[in-house]
Amino acid sequence: MTYAIEVENLVKKYGDFTAVKGISFKVRNGEIFAFLGPNGAGKTTTVHVLTTLLKPNAGTATVAGHDVVREPMEVRRKIGIVFQDPSTDRELTAYENMYIHGRIYGYSGNELREKIEMMLKFVELWEFKDRPVKFFSGGMQRRLEIARSLLHEPEILFLDEPTIGLDPQTRAHIWEYIRAMKEEHSMTIFLTTHYMDEAEQLADRIAIMDYGKIIAEGTADDLKKLVGNDVIYVRMEEPEEGIKCLNAEFIRGCRIMPDGRVRLDVQNASEAMPKLFELAQKNGLRILEVTYHRPTLNDVFLHLTGREIRDEGGEQKVARMIMRARMRR
Amino acid sequence: MRIFSTMIYREMKRFMRSRARVLGSLINPIIWLVLFGKGWAGAFNFPGASMIFGGVDYMTYLVPGIVAMTVFNMSFIQGITIIWDKQFGFIKEILVAPASRGEAILGRITGGAIMVMIQGVIILALSFLIASGLKLSGVLPALALSFLVGLAVAGMGVAIAMRMSSMEGFQMIMTMIMLPMTFLSGAFYPVKTMPEWMQWLAKVNPLTYAVDGSRYYLAGVAPTFSLTTDWLVLAGLAALFMGIAVIEFRRATID
Ligand SMILES: Nc1ncnc2c1ncn2[C@@H]1O[C@H](COP(=O)(O)OP(=O)(O)OP(=O)(O)O)[C@@H](O)[C@H]1O
Ligand SMILES: [Mg+2]
Repeated sequence: MTYAIEVENLVKKYGDFTAVKGISFKVRNGEIFAFLGPNGAGKTTTVHVLTTLLKPNAGTATVAGHDVVREPMEVRRKIGIVFQDPSTDRELTAYENMYIHGRIYGYSGNELREKIEMMLKFVELWEFKDRPVKFFSGGMQRRLEIARSLLHEPEILFLDEPTIGLDPQTRAHIWEYIRAMKEEHSMTIFLTTHYMDEAEQLADRIAIMDYGKIIAEGTADDLKKLVGNDVIYVRMEEPEEGIKCLNAEFIRGCRIMPDGRVRLDVQNASEAMPKLFELAQKNGLRILEVTYHRPTLNDVFLHLTGREIRDEGGEQKVARMIMRARMRR
Repeated sequence: MRIFSTMIYREMKRFMRSRARVLGSLINPIIWLVLFGKGWAGAFNFPGASMIFGGVDYMTYLVPGIVAMTVFNMSFIQGITIIWDKQFGFIKEILVAPASRGEAILGRITGGAIMVMIQGVIILALSFLIASGLKLSGVLPALALSFLVGLAVAGMGVAIAMRMSSMEGFQMIMTMIMLPMTFLSGAFYPVKTMPEWMQWLAKVNPLTYAVDGSRYYLAGVAPTFSLTTDWLVLAGLAALFMGIAVIEFRRATID
């Protein structure tokens, strides 16, 4: 089996601070591989090392068969990248941005014109080709960057948080493009994200990253098996002495969430539910709300780190603050 | 040479898209030429006045200085706008491309210098309307000197900008070096009649040599230094600053 990307004990420091702490992983040819991790995990740093923009302090990384430190030019020829932050020329039009990129990568004339048309049509921006990018919405800019990264037909595509800050429809749209690229061009795609749904929807395999380390790796199903059980969330009327964890032989793990709910790990939620109500009655607790679900990647992250990966939206945060305020009363 | 010409193409496109800004930037030199120039031209209208200015009228004397000053200002701005490229991420697009970084940055600087030349041509054309003693034959060599100034100063701008992370320090640098350099260049009055300490400063000011050379070509005023000195100093500085810019850009990291 040959690999598109092979990384061994990769370390990257910024001054005294070690952003990537000796990670190893392999990405197979033609798969979508996702780095899932919270802010500051070291995802972008890893992408920048793999795309030859940063030099690692230790370890090795091979991309498309070439060492990123010794043969950066070979690597650059074979990769395409969409950076986390916008990198288009805002003063220029979509077409001009594509044209400049194509020229830099050695295309010209009719071939280049045709490629630009094909790619801009692929991301549905052809009708806006003569509009300066500064008038583009966030989603349009992202699509343009995707089109640009594909123009020179890279073997391996790096997408650093491709849908960050975009609305749900636009995100779904971009996911479509990514799937189409994989299927039509059998491209290898390395993706970073802090959205669990994105990793789950798109990736063949996922590496969960936290504080510069890979803490788990595998398919979404593999990862969920790490939790090994279902999850129940219970909201209870708060007793005098405060919310406490529940204890019973059918409860494998228990945690109090920041929003005051109690999170229980059980082997089988449907069987545990009646037992839970019994237990509550016996202890004189009033249950207000129960939800349960199969483990998500968020649960996996929680299971592994004790924290949530979730990118808390403003709404959720406000809701939690209200909850806390209520609880204090 | 692909990325070199592509970067020039990019500068051209950006230049054309910012026509308003380009025209706006011509207002300043026009004010100097017309209000400052015509004002003093009236005062320097007594017999023998042209003796002070190497045998030509003040307007004709002033034009090469204003052109050099304009080219100098514009080139510096051209160079330093690479900060935008850094901030808006276009630099990363270049750094990750399978192309020579040195060539890319030389293309950027050259493109900038060419656009500055176009502004120089506009100012020169206007000058011919208001100054009587200018020589048409001097246009090409004067533009060539301006081009060297453009390369040197845009290179310097890039070198400075690569070390700065924001546009904030920029205004300060501008006023700190632009005004004194212009006054010390002999653009408005001869270097020879300056106090000795000013003459000394004028001699280390590269702009002096641009003014000196183009004043010879455009107005026929005998050069203060030799023409060879003018050309060599400017070519040397262009090579030096472009070299520094290349070295800095090659080393550039994205953080
Ligand atoms: N240029 C830099 N200098 C110093 N520290 C840096 C630099 N770039 C990143 N870091 C630090 O390195 C760590 C990893 O950053 P990185 O950008 O790789 O994380 P990330 O997983 O991409 O996070 P995000 O989701 O916010 O994009 C962070 O703690 C960050 O503060
Ligand atoms: Mg990142």
